[in-house]
Amino acid sequence: MNVITDHLGEFGDGLLLTVELTLLALAGALATGIAVAAMRVSPVRVLRAAGMAYVEVLQNIPLLVWLVIAVFGLPEIGVIAGLFTTSVIVIALYQGAYTAEAIRSGINAVPAGQGEAARALGLTFVQSLRLVVLPQALRTVVQPLGNIAIMTLMNTALAAAVGVVELTAAANRVNLAEAQPIWIFVTAGLAYMALSAVFGLVTGGLERKLAILR
Amino acid sequence: MVRTPAGMRRAAVAAVAALSLTGLAACSGGDSDSAVPGSGGGSGDDLAASAPVAANLPAGSTMEKIKQRGELVVGGSLDAPLLSQQNPATKKVEGLDADFGRLLAKYIIGKPNVKIVNSASETREALLSNGTVDVVFQTYSITPERAKQVAFAGPYYSSGLVIATKKDETGIKAPADLKGKTVIAGANTPAIPAIKKAAPGAKIVTFGSDPECVQALKQGRGDAYVQDEAVLLATAKQDPSIQIQGKPFTSDPYGIGLKHGDAQMKQFVNDWLKQIQQSGLWAKVWKNSIGTVVQGEAPQPPAIGSAPGSE
Repeated sequence: MNVITDHLGEFGDGLLLTVELTLLALAGALATGIAVAAMRVSPVRVLRAAGMAYVEVLQNIPLLVWLVIAVFGLPEIGVIAGLFTTSVIVIALYQGAYTAEAIRSGINAVPAGQGEAARALGLTFVQSLRLVVLPQALRTVVQPLGNIAIMTLMNTALAAAVGVVELTAAANRVNLAEAQPIWIFVTAGLAYMALSAVFGLVTGGLERKLAILR
Repeated sequence: MVRTPAGMRRAAVAAVAALSLTGLAACSGGDSDSAVPGSGGGSGDDLAASAPVAANLPAGSTMEKIKQRGELVVGGSLDAPLLSQQNPATKKVEGLDADFGRLLAKYIIGKPNVKIVNSASETREALLSNGTVDVVFQTYSITPERAKQVAFAGPYYSSGLVIATKKDETGIKAPADLKGKTVIAGANTPAIPAIKKAAPGAKIVTFGSDPECVQALKQGRGDAYVQDEAVLLATAKQDPSIQIQGKPFTSDPYGIGLKHGDAQMKQFVNDWLKQIQQSGLWAKVWKNSIGTVVQGEAPQPPAIGSAPGSE
C-alpha cells in the first residue's frame, strides 16, 4: 500500500484534473445537447437536417479518433490550442450528441397538447420550447442525463492518450516508477467508482425532486 | 490525412530495413562458410542458423517446459523500429529485441520458434508473474523497483536518453537547457523521471507513441523530445527536420524480464548471453538492427549483472 500513499500528490492532481475535465465537458455537452435537440424538433427543415447530421457524425466516430484528429490534425491547418482545452471541447461536442438524443426523447415525452396550448397562447416556437416544453422535458430525462454524466467521466480517461495528465495518466506515471500495476490501477478504479457514485447520488436526488408524475 | 506522415515514415523505415537486410544477407553469404546455400532467408535467419543450442536442460526446469511446448512466448512490441517491429510485407518481426528473442528460443528449443505477445509497459510484470509470457524482450530498463517484481537477466544492451529538437533549434544542447521548456516524452517511458531529475523546471507533455511525439514536436507542442537513443536514431534518420542534440545523458540498461524467483532460468539465460557475447553473435545482432543506422563497429556489450537490479 506504500505505493499509493507515497504518490498521493500525483493521484490527487490527476483526480482534480479528471473532475475539472468532466465538469467542464458536461457543461459544454448540456449546452450543445439543448441546442442540437432544439434544432431536431424545430419547424425549419434545414435545421432539423443539420441537427441530425451532427448527431450521426459525432456518435459514429469513436471519441479517441476525434481526440487524435483534434490534437494532431487541427495544427496541420493552423489551429493549435492547449491539450486540456482541446480535450474539453472535443469531449463536450461528442457527449453533446448523446445529450441531444436524451433531451429529444424527453421532448417527445411531453404531451403534444402542451406545445399546442403554448402556440395557441401566441408564444413563438422558441418561447414555447423555452418556457413550456424544455422545462418538462429536462425533468423527465434526469436519469438518462445522469448516465451521460457518468459516461463523460469515464471518457475523460481517453484524454490521457493525448497528453492530459488526468487520473489514468497519473496512475500510468506512478506505475512506470513503481511497477505495481495491480495496486495502482485498482486504486484509480476505486477513485472513478467513487466519483460515479457521487453522480449517481446527485442524479437520484434530483430525480426524486424533479420527476413529473403522469 | 493526419496519419500520413507517420505512415510514410513507417513505410520508409521498413524500406530501409529491408534494403539493409538484403545488403547484410549478401555480406554474410560472402564471408561465412556455414551459410546454408540457397536458403534465401534474411540475415535474421542466418543469425539463428549459426546460433548455439543448449547441451542439456535441467529436468523439471522452466526451460524444459518451454522446449516441450515447442515455442518461446516473448512479451514484446510490434511497433518499435530497429528493436521489435513487424514488417507489414513479411509479417516477420525485425530488430534487436526480436532477434535476441529468436536466438534464445533456438538455444532452448533448437529452433527459433517465438510467439510474441504484444505487451504494454503497464502489464509486463503481471504477464510474467501469471505465466502468460516466458520472457520479456522490450527495451525493459532494469530498475531496482522493478526487480522487486520480476527477475532480470542481462543487461543485454545499454542505451540512454537523448534530446531531439526541430532542426532550427539552437538553444537546446544539453539536459540543463530544458529548464523552463516544454518537453515531450513518450507516456510510460523512463524519460519522464529522467527529465524531472535533469531539468526540474521543465514542463512534461506525454503522448502514447513515438510517431505521435514526433508529430507533436514538429507542431510545436513542445521545444524538445526526450526518448531512447535507439528509437530516436531511427526517427532522425527518416525525418530530416528532426535533429538529435548531443550524446545520451542517461545510462539505460535493458534486461531480459523473467519470472521473479526463478534463479535457475536466470542463470541459464545469463549463460546463454555470455556465450553469444563471446562468440561474436551479439555484435552481429547489433549490426543487423541498430548498426543499420549507426556508423562504426558494434559497441562493447554491458557486463552481465552490472546494473542495479540485475545482480
